Amino acid sequence: MNALGADVRRVDGPAKIRGWAQYTADIELPGMVYAKVLRSIYPHARLVRVDASKAEKFPGVVAVLTRNDLKEKSAYYGPVVKDQPVVAMDRVRYVGEVIAAVAAEGRDIAEEALDLIEVEYEPLPAVFDPVEAMKPEAPILHKESARSEIRLDKDSFAFKSNTNVLNTYHVEEGDIAVGFRESDEIFEDVYTSQKIQHGHIEPHAAVAYWEPSEKLVIYTSTQNPSSIRAQLAELFDLPQSQVRIIVPFVGGGYGGKVHPRLEPLTATLARKARRPVQWVLTREEVFLTAHCHASVVKIKTGVKRDGTIVARQVEAVYDTGAYALTGPSTSKNGGEVSGGPYRIAHQHLTSYCVYTNTPPTGPYRGFGVPQVCWAYESQMDDIARRLGIDPLELRLRNLVREGDVFVTGDKLISVGISDCVKHAAEAAGWQHNKEQTSRELSGKVRGKGLAVMIKTTMTPSNSSALVRLNPDGSAVLLTSSVEIGQGTQTSLAQIVAEELGLPVERVAVTFPDTDVTPFDQSTSSSRTVFTMGGAARQAAYQIRQQLLEIGAKLLEADVEDLELVEGYLQVKGTPEKRRSIAQLFQARFGAAVGNMVGSYDNQTTGGLDPRTGKGKGSAFFFLSACAAEVEVDTETGKITIQQVVSAVDAGKAVNPRQCHMQNEGSMIMSLGSALFEEMVFDKGQPINSTFLEYMPPSMEDHPRQFRSLLVETPHPKGPFGAKGVGEAGLGPVEPAIGNAVANALGGIRLKNLPLRPDRILAAVEPATGEES
Amino acid sequence: MKIEIRTAVNGRELEAAVKPNQTLLEFLRDELHLKGSMEGCGVGVCGSCTVLVDRRPVSSCLMLATNIEGKQVTTIEGLAVGDQLDPVQQAFLEHQAFQCGYCTPGMIMATKALLSSNPRPTEEEVRDYLSGNICRCGTYAEVLAAVNSLKERLPQNSEPNHAQVATRS
Repeated sequence: MNALGADVRRVDGPAKIRGWAQYTADIELPGMVYAKVLRSIYPHARLVRVDASKAEKFPGVVAVLTRNDLKEKSAYYGPVVKDQPVVAMDRVRYVGEVIAAVAAEGRDIAEEALDLIEVEYEPLPAVFDPVEAMKPEAPILHKESARSEIRLDKDSFAFKSNTNVLNTYHVEEGDIAVGFRESDEIFEDVYTSQKIQHGHIEPHAAVAYWEPSEKLVIYTSTQNPSSIRAQLAELFDLPQSQVRIIVPFVGGGYGGKVHPRLEPLTATLARKARRPVQWVLTREEVFLTAHCHASVVKIKTGVKRDGTIVARQVEAVYDTGAYALTGPSTSKNGGEVSGGPYRIAHQHLTSYCVYTNTPPTGPYRGFGVPQVCWAYESQMDDIARRLGIDPLELRLRNLVREGDVFVTGDKLISVGISDCVKHAAEAAGWQHNKEQTSRELSGKVRGKGLAVMIKTTMTPSNSSALVRLNPDGSAVLLTSSVEIGQGTQTSLAQIVAEELGLPVERVAVTFPDTDVTPFDQSTSSSRTVFTMGGAARQAAYQIRQQLLEIGAKLLEADVEDLELVEGYLQVKGTPEKRRSIAQLFQARFGAAVGNMVGSYDNQTTGGLDPRTGKGKGSAFFFLSACAAEVEVDTETGKITIQQVVSAVDAGKAVNPRQCHMQNEGSMIMSLGSALFEEMVFDKGQPINSTFLEYMPPSMEDHPRQFRSLLVETPHPKGPFGAKGVGEAGLGPVEPAIGNAVANALGGIRLKNLPLRPDRILAAVEPATGEES
Repeated sequence: MKIEIRTAVNGRELEAAVKPNQTLLEFLRDELHLKGSMEGCGVGVCGSCTVLVDRRPVSSCLMLATNIEGKQVTTIEGLAVGDQLDPVQQAFLEHQAFQCGYCTPGMIMATKALLSSNPRPTEEEVRDYLSGNICRCGTYAEVLAAVNSLKERLPQNSEPNHAQVATRS
């Protein structure tokens, strides 16, 4: 039996295919009432008057929440800085910001009551473009916000007040001026990426109530129960033990559910209503609640004629929207890898987190990295073309290798990136030093492109696990890791089963309940298998040692000669004298009763010094590559994906099928944002906030040739060598497609995402207009 | 004001009083506590609320509850008979054609409708038919494989194109 490395069937399958899987919105509590909210119609305005007195008297209304119910000093929350109010206080900062909330006996009643709330606005100048927002004359969104103390990376930032540039990250290596002087050719470009919605099919949802002891209980669709608990405890000035977060199945997250979204308001409203309150967003409201940072990335690169990259200077601007959430962390995360996975002697990398009067952003699969990957990998192919070097060859010459020191100061280990790009290229039929396309520039033309990516994981971080072995030979892993679709319950069960020699179906994995399950930093940053998996393995190892010691006495053998197989302990290779788990409990406790318990706190240390940008940036690095082939219709501007291949370095695939499915998910998601997904605003007013106007990729967009490849370069600190894969495949897809398009169009380069038909047409017919 | 309706849900005949503006999805979830049909978009385009009404697929977030008067409604909860899964559920389980699972009931119901009207769809037809069911986790390769396995004749390459290419130690 090998639980690890096998395509074990998902433990959540039977519930999910029967419609029995419970999501937050499925929860009904006695006396539960329903919340609806009133949202701002202005992108930036002072709130002159908010009067909810008529709504309060409306039949069926149980409570109405406005700023009058909050105290200025305890109205704000946020994971990095506490800038976001539970409901708007003195002003609103984006169209869609919550001004008031109603709890009523029915959703329709709550909806009706909203119409009775009177709001008087005094519009203020607003700013929507992050580059404009950086200028001194731009309207300032936030004067100063209190810092949050809950994050382990809280000391990695150098916040400024009275500016929209909340945080700047900078790191350098060598001397950039010398680097450019030594270069034979210099490339300078500006790349942009758009606002993208996470599009988890389950909208955000929360159900909150207060126990008579004033303990807060929330069921919520979150990726991050521990952080929600900490932030709500801060908000309500409670000990963390007085806040209980329970997380059922989550219907997709992709970063959009990492930080408090509905919980602060739902909890505050429930306290006033003295009833359980359910709040479930409509799809339109999801669009107003979170999205991916749009970006503007200036990149300047100096190269030698032989293709050696000598110098790279990057300035990446991240539009964090009206509230910070993890914007400072996202932009830092993008900034530190904005030079790409390359050996570059002279680097000068800067990133900015900038407020604008648009909805708040937050983490999005890739966490700031796809934005810079789009820039550096697109430019890489322009360099290859100008120098006459094959794009694969150019990358292989410059890619980081095992043991290299990265710009952050990290020593790189488990570096399978050259393997990733070679295998992806080979699978896509890449031919060295050969034009990958026809040079025709009319009708339908085809091209191929490659791209690579490096990404960090949240560091420092902390995950605790507790394993309980039962005398019947079953085990339970208590964990706060969330099943968001990635299959974490299955892969963690595999890790515990492997360590304890149990059949995998004998290992149960809990749902998070912060009263019961131990701390986990977050189910994000593709960290669960590496960090929680590591904790679970060590916790199981402690039980393993107990079993072996009991067995050594029982079988009069050395511990080293024993093995645990299929729920039995035996001297290696002699199953006839094996002992069951029940017999081992009998030997230890006098009867087959009790529990053996193991626990482990798995801490990754590090962090970057905000003054130098250096330190230990990541517990492990994600490395991946993509190869794409496209057909471009130069008459209509339509791009058809002929094939896409993604290769990710999984370290060790705990469950290869699940790794492939995560990778496929990244590919599909990124195809959407490469080709058509884009949140559109007109002076801050959202234009396409439904799935009618903003459509995520459907089965019709699924490419005919679609391959996921796994490279395995074991990581010494990962459980059984495993690293994370959840986000790894996402970054390189957009530039691989962009490069394939440029290749098809004979070198015509599109620098703005998405690659819409009108942009293609404008690029191939320069006479009719400029690329917008 | 409420309107009396007579209907049958998952084979069980029932009478109910519904509000004129109540959607079928609200009726199923709030009144009958059948939580397997999910609301994703509220405008009938994501497919996660798909149920069968007289064996035809319907976005239950758009249909009014009053419209099921005299009709047979089948939801995800009505597919399996005891421990006996419907072949579509079985195929989704075998091909692991789900991730977060939120779109899965709708995807299964749409597949059920597709195969009852067209037992041997071409891949083109499957893609076209199921394009009304969005899976943001991107599980389309596995769903296609599951649907392919249900066809009377199995086409080639029905498995997702996976490969483990390099293992280094």
